Amino acid sequence: MTLYLWLIPLLPLAGFLINGLLGSRLTKALVTTIALLAPLAALGVVVRAALLVWSSPASLPYVETCPLGWIHAGGLNIDFAFALDQLTLVMLLVITGVGFLIHIYSVGYMSLEEGYARYFAYLNLFLFFMTILVLAENALLMFVGWEGVGLASYLLIGFYFSRTSAANAGLKAFIVNRIGDFGFLIAIFLLLANFGSLSFSALAANIAAHPELQGGVITAIALCLLFGATGKSAQIPLYIWLPDAMEGPTPVSALIHAATMVTAGVYMIARTHFLYDRSPLALTVVAVIGAATALFAATIGLVQTDIKRVLAYSTVSQLGYMFLGCGVAAYSAAIFHLVTHAFFKALLFLAAGSVIHGLSGEQDLRKMGGLRKKLPITFWTMTAGVFAIAGFPGLSGFFSKDAILTAAFQQGSMGKALWFVGVVTALLTSFYMFRLWYLAFFGESRSDDHTHHPHESPWSMLGPLVLLAILSVVGGWMGFGEGLGRFGAFLRPVLTPANAPESSISTSLEIALLAIAVAVALTGWFIAHLFYGSRNNRAANLAAALPGPYKLMVGKYWIDELYNNTIIKPIFLFSRYILGWVVEEGIIRGSAWLLAGIVTLLGELLRRWQSGNLRSYAGWLAAGAALLLFAILSASLGASAFTLHLNWAGH
Amino acid sequence: MNTVPDLYRILPEVILTLTGVLVMLLDAGMPKTTARRPLGWVAAFGTLAALWASLWQLGFPAGTAFYATVQTDAFSVFFHVLICGIVLVALLLSLDTLPADNHHPGEYYALITFGAVGMCLMTSAVELLLVFIALEISSIATYILAGYRKNTGKGVEAAIKYFLLGSFATGFLLYGVAMIFGATGTTQITEIAAKLPTSPSPAFVFAGLALMLVGILFKVSAAPFHVWTPDVYEGAPTPVVALMSTAPKAAAFALLIRILYGAFPTLHATWTPILWGIAVLSMTVGNLAALRQDNVKRMLAYSSIAHAGYLLAAFAGGGVASITAAAFYTAAYAAMNVGIFAVVTVVSGYDERLPLIQDFRGLLYRAPAVGGLLLFFLISLVGIPFTGGFFAKFLSFSTAVDGGAVWLAIIGLLNSGVAAGYYLRFAVTVAQAPAANAPRHPALHPGAAVSVAIVLAAAATLVLGLAPGRVLGAAGDAARSFPAAITSSPITWAK
Amino acid sequence: MDTQIITLILLAPLGGALLVALLPDRGKLPAWVALATTLLTLLFALHLPAHFNYSATGFQFQSDIPWLATPNIHYHVGVDGLSLWLVVLTGLLGPVGVLASWNVIRERRKTFYTLFLVQQTAMLGVFVSLDLMLYYGFWELSLIPMAILIAMYGRTQSDPGGPKAALRFFLFTFIPSAPLLVALLWLYAQTRTFDFVTLQSAIASGRIPAGPLCWLSVAFLIAFAVKVPVFPLHGWLTDVFSEAPVALAMVVAGKLGLYSLIRFHVGLFPVQAHQAAPWLLALATIGILYGALLALVQKDFWKLLAYATLSHLSFCVLGIYGFTLAGLDGSVYQILNHGVSAGAIFVLLGALYERFGTSQISVYGGLAKKTPALATLFVITTLSLIGLPILNGFVGEFLILSSTFTGASRFWAISATVGVILGAAYMLLLVQRIFQGPPSDMVAQLGNPDRDYDLEPREHLILWPLAALMLIMGVAPGLWIKGIESGVLPASQTISAPAKIAVSSIPQGGQQ
Repeated sequence: MTLYLWLIPLLPLAGFLINGLLGSRLTKALVTTIALLAPLAALGVVVRAALLVWSSPASLPYVETCPLGWIHAGGLNIDFAFALDQLTLVMLLVITGVGFLIHIYSVGYMSLEEGYARYFAYLNLFLFFMTILVLAENALLMFVGWEGVGLASYLLIGFYFSRTSAANAGLKAFIVNRIGDFGFLIAIFLLLANFGSLSFSALAANIAAHPELQGGVITAIALCLLFGATGKSAQIPLYIWLPDAMEGPTPVSALIHAATMVTAGVYMIARTHFLYDRSPLALTVVAVIGAATALFAATIGLVQTDIKRVLAYSTVSQLGYMFLGCGVAAYSAAIFHLVTHAFFKALLFLAAGSVIHGLSGEQDLRKMGGLRKKLPITFWTMTAGVFAIAGFPGLSGFFSKDAILTAAFQQGSMGKALWFVGVVTALLTSFYMFRLWYLAFFGESRSDDHTHHPHESPWSMLGPLVLLAILSVVGGWMGFGEGLGRFGAFLRPVLTPANAPESSISTSLEIALLAIAVAVALTGWFIAHLFYGSRNNRAANLAAALPGPYKLMVGKYWIDELYNNTIIKPIFLFSRYILGWVVEEGIIRGSAWLLAGIVTLLGELLRRWQSGNLRSYAGWLAAGAALLLFAILSASLGASAFTLHLNWAGH
Repeated sequence: MNTVPDLYRILPEVILTLTGVLVMLLDAGMPKTTARRPLGWVAAFGTLAALWASLWQLGFPAGTAFYATVQTDAFSVFFHVLICGIVLVALLLSLDTLPADNHHPGEYYALITFGAVGMCLMTSAVELLLVFIALEISSIATYILAGYRKNTGKGVEAAIKYFLLGSFATGFLLYGVAMIFGATGTTQITEIAAKLPTSPSPAFVFAGLALMLVGILFKVSAAPFHVWTPDVYEGAPTPVVALMSTAPKAAAFALLIRILYGAFPTLHATWTPILWGIAVLSMTVGNLAALRQDNVKRMLAYSSIAHAGYLLAAFAGGGVASITAAAFYTAAYAAMNVGIFAVVTVVSGYDERLPLIQDFRGLLYRAPAVGGLLLFFLISLVGIPFTGGFFAKFLSFSTAVDGGAVWLAIIGLLNSGVAAGYYLRFAVTVAQAPAANAPRHPALHPGAAVSVAIVLAAAATLVLGLAPGRVLGAAGDAARSFPAAITSSPITWAK
Repeated sequence: MDTQIITLILLAPLGGALLVALLPDRGKLPAWVALATTLLTLLFALHLPAHFNYSATGFQFQSDIPWLATPNIHYHVGVDGLSLWLVVLTGLLGPVGVLASWNVIRERRKTFYTLFLVQQTAMLGVFVSLDLMLYYGFWELSLIPMAILIAMYGRTQSDPGGPKAALRFFLFTFIPSAPLLVALLWLYAQTRTFDFVTLQSAIASGRIPAGPLCWLSVAFLIAFAVKVPVFPLHGWLTDVFSEAPVALAMVVAGKLGLYSLIRFHVGLFPVQAHQAAPWLLALATIGILYGALLALVQKDFWKLLAYATLSHLSFCVLGIYGFTLAGLDGSVYQILNHGVSAGAIFVLLGALYERFGTSQISVYGGLAKKTPALATLFVITTLSLIGLPILNGFVGEFLILSSTFTGASRFWAISATVGVILGAAYMLLLVQRIFQGPPSDMVAQLGNPDRDYDLEPREHLILWPLAALMLIMGVAPGLWIKGIESGVLPASQTISAPAKIAVSSIPQGGQQ
């Protein structure tokens, strides 16, 4: 059975090359066709593979290796090897599926933009690298995809490169990701140094064969990988790039900065869970970072007024949930949340995009309102998304989030604390999502420009919205049941933690937890309704009542400023003045200058010595002669013999 | 042994003398108005004949003549050919550059040939008095030539300085000869070598050696006996400098070798350290002083001092290798130095319109060919591979290292690094685009003779760098005509 | 044929130089001749990899003709895996250089192309010489055309400008080669040979006492380190980059020095090289970070490029002195990468300088809209320079860093990896400041709007092949590394195997 895995990345690559190199010369229709065909075909390959695998799951994991290797040097052998297992399959379906929908959406959304071909080229390029990332059978190939998606993200964030803010955001995203990649690279070096191989299967086998390996170097590797993950998945401390990434076109935010790329960190941890299973410390760190990020980002999300920024912080927060899931070794739950999140967050972004499109570029929630009538379809789809992420029973978000929280709850007292943080975050999430919902769609319009009239988006945009809405509503059911139901069962072969906690939790307790979750969601809605359901100034009063916290949250805790002043500025100052002036000009060039100066000075002295005066010349001549005479005589005979001979010569 | 007629042993000298006399007679006979250019050609052909004659001498077995005062061997022939070659080039150079309105061109050519007689004789003389006479012949000719630009103060100054200091120095030489005679009872070089061990008063031997060294080192303008060089070069006509910065030096070095390896091989351990010191002093003083010169000829004067130093480094090796290296160095140095002075003559003219380095700016733009050749000679002086300059330096220092004088080599090569500073400054100025406000210089049209001269020099420099085999062989043969040198083993003090 | 091919490679540019010198300086004639010559040279050079026996070690295509009996100097040339691709690279950069100078060099084309071709010969000679005297000859010869051309075509003719940079460059590189020559002479005095292989075995046999050997190796090391340049001997780099014509600046740094380090410093003095390694690893890492940090704050893109180059080349040094096979592979590969990518970036910056007449970065801004193609290629080259995976830079950097980490020193490896972050920072910052953001005043009020400021066909012709090469070298490094590995194997075998120790006691997992 051949699955032609190599086609999955190469088809988008072809799309990228064609549109990228010739796009400017092709007709728009042709560009569109190519751009859509590439992911569609890839999706086709994936679906075919899925069907084949479904019939014979035993055949997994399935590996394809490129016959001509990649890096073979000095005992180091790294190939282009693609592996397909259940986890990869799930990821591929999400990436190509949601990806394809977003491509379609983009056709409508970007129709009027210049650089249409460029946009789709980048989008295809992203799919190329993203599929490589999840298909990679070894850490280095994964790193290729890892950096590659970073590149695509850089290009797409900076798509409107003539806007300084966009250019800066792209740069920031790439550099911050590079900082994360630093950790990934070190992890790769450590793997090479200790296991001499980067192949995941080989590593897993190697670890399994050595039960005595605990903590120590494993922890080091796991933490380095985690550092990489925090960069890509926008977790503390490297989350700062994601909100700025909203400078990119909205579909990009949906695809890259919500549904797929930012979840790569979660995927990586799940992929390498055999390492994390051996390092409780690393797991704890993952969980804590996840929970902290979830809460932290949610609080910032409460007060954002830019519709996309609200969603951005919500994404960071939801990714925190996934990390929390990984941290409590509930990898399947984390992946499950990854999938549902891909549905509803993509939906929310696209809907927001549709709103922005309808308001011809307006992103400020304070200038919206009353769009329920103007954009009915957008409204209903958005509503589905909001209820899903808020975790209303029966919707996708409900199942996945609950699965993670339940898993956390079972991890002892530490787990209880994490669970509590998760619940609070759920409350905040529900609140800020409904806040957005109310501000955007209810009340009457607060827009100050009356020239443009809000208009519903074309079907090329609404179609994907509807599809995603359906998925957000029903998508959760695949994980319904004991141990995440069918979804869990499907992933069990790959994602069962080595030390799987037997489900110690009683049904009654489980129901209690569910009840709490539901209550929390409703509470969030209720508070939002109180504040924003009707025109009132409760929110303003509250802000006035608690100026400190409010300022803190509006200012995003001034983390950007903190980094800027403690890291970036010092580096530049150090380079410019200490290195540039003192070391380079002063010491390195200065020493050469000094040497030259000394030599020149000697030359000058000698030049002066040449007086031109004949008498002095004669003097020098005589002196030289005397010197020579003395040198020879004193060297050849001792002084005594010298005198003696002269005496003899005298007579 | 002595089947060869004595006259044959001095045939080149004879030819040159006759040529000189002929030139003077013709000059006297010619009407005042007619140009004297033909006289130059006569001199040139005479020199050519002399050159051929000295080559012809190779056919004889090495031997002495005239009561063992003159000796022709591979060594003497090597230097004869070298000197005649230089003189030939210098004559060709003068043919085109000597202004028609110049005073007494006839005597000019005659003096050059007479000088050549002296220099040739210096390389074949093996009797100290004859050596002195030869030295004086060559010197007096050059004294006069140095002051040939009578209309300029610098010219006269140069002549006077050169004359006075020169006589002072030859005085030392003569005194040295006297002492040696006193100590050994002979002035015949090979006999001196034989008598040294039994000398009643070594002190006089050493003193004599020292004083003779002073005289010779003055001629090769080695520090600290170099002080006259810059002033004289600056004042003398450039074609003359081309001659006197090479030919008399070659002769003097030949003499140095002749005396040291002919008469005092056994005092090897005594004079080697002296020459070691003088080499270091010369190259250092020469290079450092050259750094700050603005006048091209003064700069080249100091550079010639430095080159004397490089050459003396070869003596640190000892034995045949040293003589070979030294002989080769004189040849290579002569080739490139004559060449560069020839180019300078062409550019700045006999009357030296453009004496300063800055005046050469943009030469490569003005006259690509001339500029290119100038760059080539400079590169050779720097000692860049595939040029005679490099190979000469390479041999000289390689001999030194062989002899264990590693430090001498290091100092020397660092010196050549410093030297690169001023050579390159010159080269770069030549290559630089002309200044925007630069005065329009007339285009250069070097005449046929001078072109031939420059091309000869360039070709020699290139051949000595690319295929030095032949010349190296000749130098080797020359070296092997010192039996004592072969036996004297390399010194070991520096190890 | 196989014995003559290298001589052909050397003679081709030399003959071209003669031809240019003899032909009249009319119009673009010299440029065309030079182009033809360089292409021919490249063709000859490509013969080597085509007929190279990759399984064999040692030198191939050898030709050994006695030049002089005493001193015993031979015309001995040949290539092995180490020099093989460097020769090809030099051949490749020939036409690139000619085309890059096509419009920039407007006057005295004859002089320029003559010297340019001589320079080609000299560089090729350095890579193929197996007689150290011959090598030294080419090594020194390569300085002269460089210095003269920098002086002639320095960008700022007003002093201090081209001339100053030329002098600085020449003295910086010439003076250290004086000790080198002394070292050669001393070796000759001991062994009576300049032949590389003979010397290698003579030294290996231990006939020469360790004390002098140490000094010899230092003399070699310094001469080469200046040429690379290794921190802190890079004083000449910025001046040269700001002044030299693009065609020369792109070849002046890197390959000559690095090749010599591997071939002669490590090759002749393995023991001393290992003693020096800790220092060199430290200097290399410092160079990486130092160059990157300074590149971050430069206001002039030539200077920025100079410091970036220092940073990139230091990676190679790092790989060499880890003495691991992978590291040496990576270093040599990185030399090739640098040749290709730096060549491209030089052409691109040269194109900017030619069009807008300034290297002040602040003057630029928002150029991408005016020159999309230029911007695209600039970004591609940038990505290759910052080591983006599947482009060439990544392979080299990964091999060097990973092998340093596993084989030599974890500390220096980690520190050097920080340089990878900084590399991305300064290059992308440059891209942003030149091409992105709102158009700067200069860009906004560009002369006549109808003029096309974008790349012209000639530049496309140079750059796209280079870009393609970056991709191919990133995806299929095997094509090159198999040759390189056969060449650097000896250098790595002198090592007392810390690499094997580092791959720890844990049994190897099945290698893919």
